[in-house]
Amino acid sequence: MSGAVAGVDIGSTTAKCVLLGEDSRILGKSLNPVGVDIVKDAERALEAALADAHLSRSEVSFIAGTGYGRYKVYFGQLIVTEISCHARGANFLFPGTRVVIDIGGQDTKAIRVNDKGEVVDFAMNDKCAAGTGRFLDVCANALGFDVAEIGPLSLQARRAVKITSTCTVFAESEVTSYVSRGKDPKDILAGLHASIANRTLSLMQRVGVEPEITFTGGVSQNEGMVQALHRRLGAPVNVSPLSQYLGALGAALHGRERLSGGAT
Amino acid sequence: MITGGLDLGAGVIKGALLEDGRRVLATASLPSRGTPVSAARRLMDELGETANIAPGDVDYLCTTGFGRYSIPERNLQVSDFTSSARGAIFLFPKTRMIVDVGTQASRTMSISETGKVLKFKMNEKCAAGAGRFVDRCSKYLQVPLEEMGPKALASEHPKLISSVCAVLAETEIINNVAEGVPLPDILMGVFLSLSQRAYSLMRYVGIQPEVTLVGGLVRNVGMVKALRDTVGMDVNVAPDAYYAAALGSAILGHSRLLKLAQAPRPAGG
Repeated sequence: MSGAVAGVDIGSTTAKCVLLGEDSRILGKSLNPVGVDIVKDAERALEAALADAHLSRSEVSFIAGTGYGRYKVYFGQLIVTEISCHARGANFLFPGTRVVIDIGGQDTKAIRVNDKGEVVDFAMNDKCAAGTGRFLDVCANALGFDVAEIGPLSLQARRAVKITSTCTVFAESEVTSYVSRGKDPKDILAGLHASIANRTLSLMQRVGVEPEITFTGGVSQNEGMVQALHRRLGAPVNVSPLSQYLGALGAALHGRERLSGGAT
Repeated sequence: MITGGLDLGAGVIKGALLEDGRRVLATASLPSRGTPVSAARRLMDELGETANIAPGDVDYLCTTGFGRYSIPERNLQVSDFTSSARGAIFLFPKTRMIVDVGTQASRTMSISETGKVLKFKMNEKCAAGAGRFVDRCSKYLQVPLEEMGPKALASEHPKLISSVCAVLAETEIINNVAEGVPLPDILMGVFLSLSQRAYSLMRYVGIQPEVTLVGGLVRNVGMVKALRDTVGMDVNVAPDAYYAAALGSAILGHSRLLKLAQAPRPAGG
């Protein structure tokens, strides 16, 4: 059987789709916000990726769903957890990956993978907003910035302040009190990024820290966070402009494997 | 002999004036709004007016709480554990366990019959178990803080909250509102969630009657009902339990003053 394979990743805030050709080349992709009707969002993600690839639905021979809303990808033939998809996608982009750090809008994961991109171990925080993208959202808001601005601004800090609160709610008050004491918002932002890097490191330590480290999820688009992790880990982290699509890419790769008769 | 007790909490300053360590002359509270020293002075003036005494008539001032070191006029400071225990025993002499849900921290302690703290457990790291969670709910549900409790009492099917994080719970609560869950059920869900957290602190310390609720949320009828339902036993509640730590510190101030009066004065002092 030939044709394109689609991976659809329904996250808590965005829906992603990647279309993979037979030679495992990316033919098209899409990213849309998720609303209340997840079933429709999944459909829309696929449609948008098809439009991007100039393909019709009939040219897609296999669809795999993943992510938080993967059970709503009714048109798919395979459902894979986002953990194995991220592992697989990271291995595809950076074959030397041994730990994947996925910081999303609502949770954070550390996934240890082998040289085949299979999951060896993982640790996850989905109970508490601290250390997730939500923490940055809330604090950016408290400072009056858009979340897209804060990474670059944090890199201009001269002297990062120390954020002592772990809890997002308490950190928000701490940020406000730093502002009222006249601290430079850039220094506060650097402190917030360092705080997440700390939380990430302790999550990573639960699975074992080993290079190469690949950073994925929405927050990996934040250059300030990339630098903060680099500094905290003492080693560079792999980032790709495709990292937000990693779950969808991984799903498509799993789909391709299933299609060619391999185990997933 | 008149002693004053000031409890400088993270959100609100509570104060009490006591005569001879027994008779309550006045109690009052003020939000600290980041300026505890001036708020504390205003509160002392207000207490003096209620008790009808001049500022100079307060023989001894004992502070407690988070900001107890910030008041230069103090004669003594004691930890919030010690003062809450003393205050709870004063209000309910059979108290053996104290639950205190404050703005920034919640704590539970077991105490001896003399008010000595035996064991305690505290949560100060996470807003989910603290009054701050209620403050935030009040804001985004647009229900004034003082109306939350009475409204919650109308709940028939409380909507439990599955998130254990105040920020993630916010999303959950907003979803519940969007899905048309009645407001009283949502509010009672918030109080039950807080009660669950308090209950796990209580179990850690070891539950023993009588249980007395003190501090910030004691005046919230919704919280009181949720805690009683969660723990499955009666919980002592009194209007003055809101001032338990302030009362306790005024009592401790009185004991100290008595001791000082009995002690021989140091030579040349």
